[in-house]
Amino acid sequence: MASPSTSDLLAARVRLPQHVVHRSFVAETVVLNLQTGQYHGLNPTAGRMLEALQKAPTVGDTVPALAGEYGVEQEQIERDLLALTRGLLERGLIETVDDDSD
Amino acid sequence: MTTPTEERPDAERGERRRTAFGLELSIDPRISIPELGCCPDSALTPPSRIRLDTDELYRRWHTLTTTPERVREIRIGETLLRAIDFAEPAGYLLWVRDYGRVLISPDGLELLCEPDPVNADWATILSAQALPLAATLRGLEVMHASGVVLDGMAVLVTGQSGAGKSSLAAALVKAGGQLLSDDAVALQLCDGALIAHAGSVALQLRTAEDERLSADERATLGRPASSVENKRRYVSNEAVDAAPLGCVFLLERSAEEPTVEQLGAVNPFELIASTFNLSVRTPDRLQRQLDVVSAIASDGLAHRLRVQPGVDASRLGTIVHEHLRREAVPAEPALSGVHSRRERLLEL
Repeated sequence: MASPSTSDLLAARVRLPQHVVHRSFVAETVVLNLQTGQYHGLNPTAGRMLEALQKAPTVGDTVPALAGEYGVEQEQIERDLLALTRGLLERGLIETVDDDSD
Repeated sequence: MTTPTEERPDAERGERRRTAFGLELSIDPRISIPELGCCPDSALTPPSRIRLDTDELYRRWHTLTTTPERVREIRIGETLLRAIDFAEPAGYLLWVRDYGRVLISPDGLELLCEPDPVNADWATILSAQALPLAATLRGLEVMHASGVVLDGMAVLVTGQSGAGKSSLAAALVKAGGQLLSDDAVALQLCDGALIAHAGSVALQLRTAEDERLSADERATLGRPASSVENKRRYVSNEAVDAAPLGCVFLLERSAEEPTVEQLGAVNPFELIASTFNLSVRTPDRLQRQLDVVSAIASDGLAHRLRVQPGVDASRLGTIVHEHLRREAVPAEPALSGVHSRRERLLEL
């Protein structure tokens, strides 16, 4: 499956599939795929991004708030966020949601 | 199909009741497991039945129409020491070299045993391997740890094999604690609180260490039982009930003097690696495993204990005991809160 373009990804809404759970620890977020039994570790920044992605209407909507939170340029946050989002999608740890679906 | 014998109540069959790993157990009278306690008030019911029934084991396992999946095995070189195979609907077949086989039903309610005919101690396979697996299948999370109850709270010690878990547990027992388990402790998450359940209450001490103990000190560890390899076994005389989890010590070798540090940022994967029964990978279990690890971390229960190889276990026990009294034991209101959650658990 082709990776979505940058603009498509920024406009997409993402969520955790039902078979994925995560728990936040002080220095790490653990993401667990219940279908494969595989654990994944995210550093605190990636963990915070995952949290923001779950709440925002689109991936792009998280950028301004995260840039403000970390005190960095929006372009940098967008690059990091897109890389993380693609990585999570490739591993099946998040999925995109159609506008008309829940 | 059940036989008339199977339908008779436990007492009529002569089955004995015990408790271990948070489970109530009904045990075939021909099986002796002295290292299991009998404090059934907090155990899960209905009981898991342990039977000596080779014919039934064969009937269920060797008539399968599916090919079993090897979910775990342990080897030294080319020699297979232990294996777990899984197949529906029979369950998990545990095999341990020189000990025998146990077939554990997928719900953990039935354990069928086929002992090694020449090993009089074959039943240790139950407390060491089969019952922790059954407890996992019944919704508890088992940690590879020694455990002691001190001042009403469970204290667990995890670490690699040979790191000194049993030695430290023995030192804490000598300091007034009650042995919860030598090698595996079942944890139950209830209303956000973790309850630790007793497992095998037989301590195994290396012979060299045992020889350093006085007769009085040995007596505090319990009654001597059959020795294995280079270890002496003591079965605790005291039955211990479940206790709220107070502390988990992660034992680590160090070149420095012993130190204890509360871990604000524990590595969750280190805790996950300390859990038992990696062969059970069902979604329910995996999520529970993560929840238990998360509860240990978020409650600040994890401590790093760095020790030099060969450090005197009694001295280490004193250090740990002092640390617990100074820092780890919660203040009275929190302790009361934990107890009240435990009481609710016991009412369930």
